[in-house]
Amino acid sequence: MKFYETIVIGSGPAGMVGATILGQHGVKTLLLDENDFIGGQLVKQTHKFFGDHAHYASLRGFEIAQKLQDGISSNSNVEVENAATVMGIYPNNTVTYIQNGKKCKAYGKKLLITTGAMEKQLPFVNSDLPGVYGAGAIQTLMNEYGIMPGSRFMIIGSGNIGLILAYQLIQAGAKVRAIVEALGKIGGYAVHANKIKRLGVPILLNHTIVKAIGDKSVSGAVIAEIDDKFKPITGTERELVVDTIAISVGLTPLTELSEQAGCKVEFIPELGGYVPIRNERMKTTNPDVFIAGDLASIEEATTAMIEGKIASLEMVQELTGKDLEKEIENEITILALFRSGPKSVKIRSGLEKMGIKNLAISKPRINEPKEDIVGKLRAVLECDEEIPCNSCEVSCPFGAIYIGENLNSTPVLDPDKCTGCGTCVNACPGLAIFMLKEDVENRMALVGIPYELLPLPVKGQKMWAMNKNGDYVCDVTVERVVKYPNKTHLVYAKIPIEFSQSVRHFSFIKKESPIICRCEEVTLDEIENTIDSGITDFEELKRLTRVTMGPCGGKNCKLVVLGILSRKTGVSISNLSQGTSRPPVKPVEFSAFLKCGDDK
Amino acid sequence: MISNASVVIIGGGIIGTSIAFNLAKLGVKDISVFEKSYISSGSTGRCGGGIRQQWTSPMNVRLAMRSVELFRRFREDIGMDIEYHEGGYLLLAYSDEEMGEFESNVKMQNQEGLSVQLVSPGEIKEKFPFMNLERVVGGTWCPSDSHANPQIANIAYAIAIKRMGVDLNTHTAVDGIDIQNGEIVGVQTDKGYVKTNTVINAAGGFSHEVGLMANMDIPTHSERHQILVTESINHVLEPMVISFKKNYYVRQTMHGSFVMGQSDKKPAQGNDLGHSVEFLEEMAPKMVHDFPFMTHLHIVRQWSGAYNISPDAQPIIDTAESISRYIFAVGFSGHGFMLAPAAGEAVAEMVVYGRSKTMDVSNLNMRRFKRQIKSEKNVV
Amino acid sequence: MKGRIKAHPILEFKREKRVKFYFEDREIEAYEGETVAAALHAAGIRVLRYTSHRNRPAGLFCAIGKCSSCLMKINGVPNVRSCMTKVSDGMKVRRQKEKGDVL
Ligand SMILES: Cc1cc2nc3c(=O)[nH]c(=O)nc-3n(C[C@H](O)[C@H](O)[C@H](O)COP(=O)(O)OP(=O)(O)OC[C@H]3O[C@@H](n4cnc5c(N)ncnc54)[C@H](O)[C@@H]3O)c2cc1C
Ligand SMILES: Cc1cc2nc3c(=O)[nH]c(=O)nc-3n(C[C@H](O)[C@H](O)[C@H](O)COP(=O)(O)OP(=O)(O)OC[C@H]3O[C@@H](n4cnc5c(N)ncnc54)[C@H](O)[C@@H]3O)c2cc1C
Ligand code: SF4
Ligand code: SF4
Ligand code: FES
Repeated sequence: MKFYETIVIGSGPAGMVGATILGQHGVKTLLLDENDFIGGQLVKQTHKFFGDHAHYASLRGFEIAQKLQDGISSNSNVEVENAATVMGIYPNNTVTYIQNGKKCKAYGKKLLITTGAMEKQLPFVNSDLPGVYGAGAIQTLMNEYGIMPGSRFMIIGSGNIGLILAYQLIQAGAKVRAIVEALGKIGGYAVHANKIKRLGVPILLNHTIVKAIGDKSVSGAVIAEIDDKFKPITGTERELVVDTIAISVGLTPLTELSEQAGCKVEFIPELGGYVPIRNERMKTTNPDVFIAGDLASIEEATTAMIEGKIASLEMVQELTGKDLEKEIENEITILALFRSGPKSVKIRSGLEKMGIKNLAISKPRINEPKEDIVGKLRAVLECDEEIPCNSCEVSCPFGAIYIGENLNSTPVLDPDKCTGCGTCVNACPGLAIFMLKEDVENRMALVGIPYELLPLPVKGQKMWAMNKNGDYVCDVTVERVVKYPNKTHLVYAKIPIEFSQSVRHFSFIKKESPIICRCEEVTLDEIENTIDSGITDFEELKRLTRVTMGPCGGKNCKLVVLGILSRKTGVSISNLSQGTSRPPVKPVEFSAFLKCGDDK
Repeated sequence: MISNASVVIIGGGIIGTSIAFNLAKLGVKDISVFEKSYISSGSTGRCGGGIRQQWTSPMNVRLAMRSVELFRRFREDIGMDIEYHEGGYLLLAYSDEEMGEFESNVKMQNQEGLSVQLVSPGEIKEKFPFMNLERVVGGTWCPSDSHANPQIANIAYAIAIKRMGVDLNTHTAVDGIDIQNGEIVGVQTDKGYVKTNTVINAAGGFSHEVGLMANMDIPTHSERHQILVTESINHVLEPMVISFKKNYYVRQTMHGSFVMGQSDKKPAQGNDLGHSVEFLEEMAPKMVHDFPFMTHLHIVRQWSGAYNISPDAQPIIDTAESISRYIFAVGFSGHGFMLAPAAGEAVAEMVVYGRSKTMDVSNLNMRRFKRQIKSEKNVV
Repeated sequence: MKGRIKAHPILEFKREKRVKFYFEDREIEAYEGETVAAALHAAGIRVLRYTSHRNRPAGLFCAIGKCSSCLMKINGVPNVRSCMTKVSDGMKVRRQKEKGDVL
């Protein structure tokens, strides 16, 4: 066993900055990463980054990684171990990792965990076929190994990653047949979108993938148009001749090691799913353990670096007694500035859920959302980008929506004034307003969704509630349908409260059952049938169906399964399962334990 | 949750649910079972799933033999496939002295009617050519020993008793037993009070604590035992293999994964369910030595559970002397899963008839500890 | 455009030492440092195994060792993550069917 003052796990931007600062302050640090190189996500990014110049803006991702690495290799206090997969954190801050097929143990007085995130999966028919990849996998093959996994691509999801992936594929010589987007608007920054539009890639808004086609491997995809209310329009299905499908529907934090280190995790969808609880200075519920980066909340490289700085400065302060208050406070202010824009609303509310106050920082022409009144029937405005539109403000008979002089400013709701009349939902041209009324006690939420499809569901209709990506979330029964002359109708249904920020569509129930658990090949039907047979405890369900029990340990499907169970039982997701992760995080050969790698 | 129960069972592990099943089968109505967490959350859901009849104590042999009879009919009786598989048990001996003990055990076991035989290293090699038998001098082989999926078995019992009308309350903890003038009058749970005159302590790792609720100092304690599971591979290992000397047991589940464990040198006391890296460090070399094909097999998960242990490592099944109708079925150590069908049957009969009829379990009473303690030796 | 990228406007790929390995007895050329899954993709091979329960073809999904979709039999060892295993000279790689044999 080797002894260190600190061990940093994960060498993405958060871990690299953290290790650098620790080293600069004379703290003996071990930096571990399972890749052959340090840099994390940055290494795969060939595009220029946003941010400010203090945080390497306008450099390309891999160049930022190089700069950070230079800072680390010139620092004698930081030892770097690559190709070192941390398999478990055991009592007494014992970090166990596998390197060259051997087990090594290291002890750190304090730990900084910066393991980042992994991609969410999207179940659709044949989503397990070879040729369907996570966007990150394609980036790895393409930008790390210089290998193209296919020739004609389809990308699902128009967030920044999907948009950037398309750009990178074209740079590398591939054809991108389409980006398919279920919503009526592009998820990522407009600038990224414009970049690929210029290159001729269609972004198919209000489109969805129905299924992948192929015998042994993908040879096509069936997509369908969905009208502006998310429902596939019969007759619009068409087959795209593509040999590769990239899924880019978001990331979720890799919390297992922090769970093993005894850090409490909670389900905060705004931050990406289950995340470790921590304070403003990145300290978790285990006073020896700090976190930063995508593990703390799915954000950006810039915020990851600032968080890495805050965490490591606080660690230095605790370990050495140095007074670094000024520096820390300064970094906290910089971070708050970064998060003050409309695109960071989620992060801010997620942080507040965790009890972290966001500094009040003024921003011109971006109206801060007013304090929400949870439990009251009110409108939810989802119009974050500054677009020239004020229909909602004009339509509201009670003056509950404020945009101000500049109609480009984002609309804000005054929940005090909102009567829940629904006029704005009906009026909004962007279909960006929903109705919501939480029943906190019963952990349910009534959600009203604008609906312009035929057939119009009727009261009592059993449907599937879909999220903003058009993914299945839960089953619902329509409670109320309000018809309007302009044909934008309002459909209300109750959903688990956890999904109140995600459910934005009700779809008619589909026939083919998607595979939910890739490892054990368990379908939605199987899970539902087991729950219907009376198994309502997640732990029991898991043991009977084997869902989440495969080698991946539920990384891929646990949340989806919890969602299904939550909807069936009416119990909220957060009450269904506590995080318990057991080592090894990834399967490890016995032989690794035959040799001891830490006394080399 | 009903307000008036004829019997309250504390603990929804394999023992508690088996007792409830047998009581319901005997026609008892208004049975309440309280489980503070989910079904199979206790030792049962964490156990190895081995079903072995080769014991050093005749009582354990008999109980296990009766259980095997019942496990064979589990699917018909309880209504679910629990991956029951009679692949046998192979016990390994490493010295003439140990082999001598095995010989006298086999004699006793044969007398009890169990078909067990002594095997030579050559015979073992023939059956299991992939094993490395270095230093093994022989062993015993019982083809009717078996294994099953304990989690599914526990849940199967739970589904069956619910169907039979038992009032099964999960996520409901019993906080106290209400005793007036030496008579049980009720049980306090965190979800409300239930009237009853009969309580059964089947609280597994918490048997001592639940004993204290009735002012009974049951001589059981809990200690942590660690266990691991590997990835699944095509079937190679039929039996459960045990080495007392090397301190391990291992089996391959029907799903293809290997489940294995040992006793730690200094087991953590209580119901601490953490795990240690030392466990992996100790298991790996001995498993790879005896089963060389495991060298590149991947460990998928490790966890631990509690052995609830009595002074002689045999269960305690008895009725309290000072309080009427307080029954306990505790201290099952590392063999409560396999004994559950027979133990449940015996306890149910004690409740209904005042004594166990199918099989006399009276020598598992508490008074035995006042005499000289004779421990079960065949334990890992 | 399947296979190895020859020219890239931003990146330079350093491919130094060539190695040869065998996929289902077929000889495949690769470069040192590539993972088995990457090298197979370079050769146009994307079906890495057939699942044990439903016998469906499966391939790479996450490429970073998280999802277990890419398990193959490598040098006789089943259930090896081909996305995390580097190719080496003479390596024998097979598609895995069922759960894999260890004997
Ligand atoms: C396509 C794409 C485009 C992006 N564009 C931008 C942009 O323009 N601007 C911007 O600011 N941000 C951008 N981001 C986001 C940014 O890359 C991430 O937010 C950032 O990398 C998060 O940093 P991190 O240090 O938390 O984690 P990561 O960079 O993910 O690093 C985590 C590291 O931990 C290691 N690790 C994980 N588990 C273990 C283990 N058990 N043992 C050992 N090591 C382990 C991983 O191998 C990895 O190296 C983009 C992301 C993507 C995917
Ligand atoms: C690692 C390991 C391997 C094992 N291998 C084997 C094996 O191969 N074969 C075998 O036969 N046995 C094995 N065992 C032993 C076996 O698991 C136990 O003997 C058996 O499961 C005991 O069953 P039980 O119902 O008494 O206990 P449990 O399954 O622990 O059930 C007791 C239940 O009582 C509940 N409870 C406790 N207090 C309260 C309260 N106050 N209110 C409400 N509920 C309460 C608990 O939550 C628990 O669920 C093993 C054990 C371990 C730990
Ligand atoms: S529901 Fe009525 S009051 Fe409320 S925001 Fe919409 S239009 Fe305004
Ligand atoms: S009318 Fe709708 S789209 Fe326009 S600003 Fe208001 S909420 Fe946004
Ligand atoms: S592709 Fe996910 S583990 Fe290899």
